[in-house]
This record gives sequence, structure tokens and C-alpha cells, in this order.
Amino acid sequence: MPRIVRDADVVWEGNLARGAGAITAASSGAFASLPYSLPTRIAAPEGKTSPEELLAAAHGGCFTMSLAGELTAAGTPPGRLDVRCRITMDEVEGQGHLIVHSALDVRARVDGVGTDALAEAVDAAHKGCSFSSLLRAAGVGIDIETTLDGGD
Amino acid sequence: MATDRNAKVTWTGSLMDGSGTIEGVGSGAFGPLDVTWTSRAEEPAGRTSPEELIAAAWAACYSMALSHGLAGAGTPPERLETSVTVTFQPGEGIVKGAIEVVGTVPGIDHDGFVEQAEGAKRNCPVSMALTGIPEVTLAVTLAPA
Repeated sequence: MPRIVRDADVVWEGNLARGAGAITAASSGAFASLPYSLPTRIAAPEGKTSPEELLAAAHGGCFTMSLAGELTAAGTPPGRLDVRCRITMDEVEGQGHLIVHSALDVRARVDGVGTDALAEAVDAAHKGCSFSSLLRAAGVGIDIETTLDGGD
Repeated sequence: MATDRNAKVTWTGSLMDGSGTIEGVGSGAFGPLDVTWTSRAEEPAGRTSPEELIAAAWAACYSMALSHGLAGAGTPPERLETSVTVTFQPGEGIVKGAIEVVGTVPGIDHDGFVEQAEGAKRNCPVSMALTGIPEVTLAVTLAPA
């Protein structure tokens, strides 16, 4: 398969404390000029996104596709997957601010799958998701909670 | 103090024929955004992807870190334009990140700007979470102030 590239553009004006920026999904155009700032990154978001929120969307999206792929490969494609991802940034002594944790809360409705088979697919998805791999390599903690809904 | 941010994603059906939605994010700033395997691995056709979202997070984080470094050096920026390209190789993973930054920074010379740009590449929290990417490049341009 050929390499796939995706671009994003940001404009930032001013210093960190009082400046502000805007974030655009340049490859797809799916979103444009989303405003962000330091206060809304580290305190209440006030309707504004942040790097950590974008990472939560990226990790949630990557893991969900990975799990759909594993379940499909096992002959049991999902009816529906609901995944919530929460990314935590914290100040670490001597290292400044770091992304320290990603929590994935997975609810799966899959015909013909028991809790053991689902746990196996979740484990494989965690190993296969390209973004999970990067976070692991950087020492970011990842926790996954899985719930199997009744089949439909 | 720790900061939490969250997003909710749903998916229905198989990987190739199914589809997903980034239903929303905690801030409410965007969503719902559709995602599919085809638009991730081929042409985007207006749909975002995990790699594009990583690029957006990285460009946003990098710009803040660079602004902070420049201000600390006594030369706060007027304007920074940052583009990040993330390269995904199916079956292999995320293999490359490319940061390009154009800065309008009164009172700084090229070497001073490059030094701060390199520092932001090393130190921004998103860069620190992506140290597993085998190749990360940086291209720096200082615009006339």
C-alpha cells in the first residue's frame, strides 16, 4: 500500500499567555480555523478544542478502526462500537508538561462474540493501532475498559 | 494540575465496509465528523482521520511551545504559521512527521529562531508523546518582520 500523508495547519499570534491560535484540517477540510489558547487548554475549555482533545479524537478513532478490523478478521464484524477516549496531560517533576495517560472506554455490540473473544480482539487492536503503539513507545499509560452489550 | 480532554467515537460494521463517527468532543468545538477506512487510507474526500487529527494536535502544541520559547528569549512572535504532515504506512504504522514553521519574530536572527524551533520540536508535550515516530523533520523560515 502507498504511504498516506495528512496535513494540518496552525496559525498562532502573540505570546503564550495572551496569544491565540487557529487549527485547520488541511488535507480533508473537515474542520477549519478552530480557535485555541493557553487558558482554554489548561483550564475550562469554554467551547475551544486543544491539542489533547485532538489526540483523544485521534486515539479514539484509531483504536475503534483497529478493533473493527480485528473483529472483522475473526469473522464477527461489530454491530456497533462506542469508544470514549480521555487524554490526560500533567506536569511531571523535572520534565515539564507531558501526555501521561490515555483511557479508552469501549462498549461493543457484536453478534456471536463472548467476553473472552472480545477481550482477545481488544488486546489485538491495542497492539495493532498505530497510535497506541506510539503512545506505548513514549511511556504513556493506556487503560482500556471493555463492556460487551447484548447481541442485536 | 492535570488536564483531561475527551472524545467519543462510534463505529458500525466491518472495517472495510463499515463507517464511524467522531460524535463529539468534551469542548463541543467540533463534531460529528465522519471517518471511514477508505478515506483514511486513500483520498480523504472531506473526511478527517486519526493521522490528520494527530497532525492538528501536533501543529497546535508545537506553535504554543515555540511561542513560549521565543518569549522566554525576549523575542515574542508576532505570528507563527505551522504545518505538520503525518505519514501513515498501513501495516507498518506512523512512519514520519514533518514540521514546517514560518515565523514573524521581531528582533531575532535566523540562528536564534532555528534554536528555538529545534527546542519546541524536542519539548512540546505532543512531540514527547510521539518520540516513537522513526523520522521527524523540521523546516524553518524566518519571515521579514
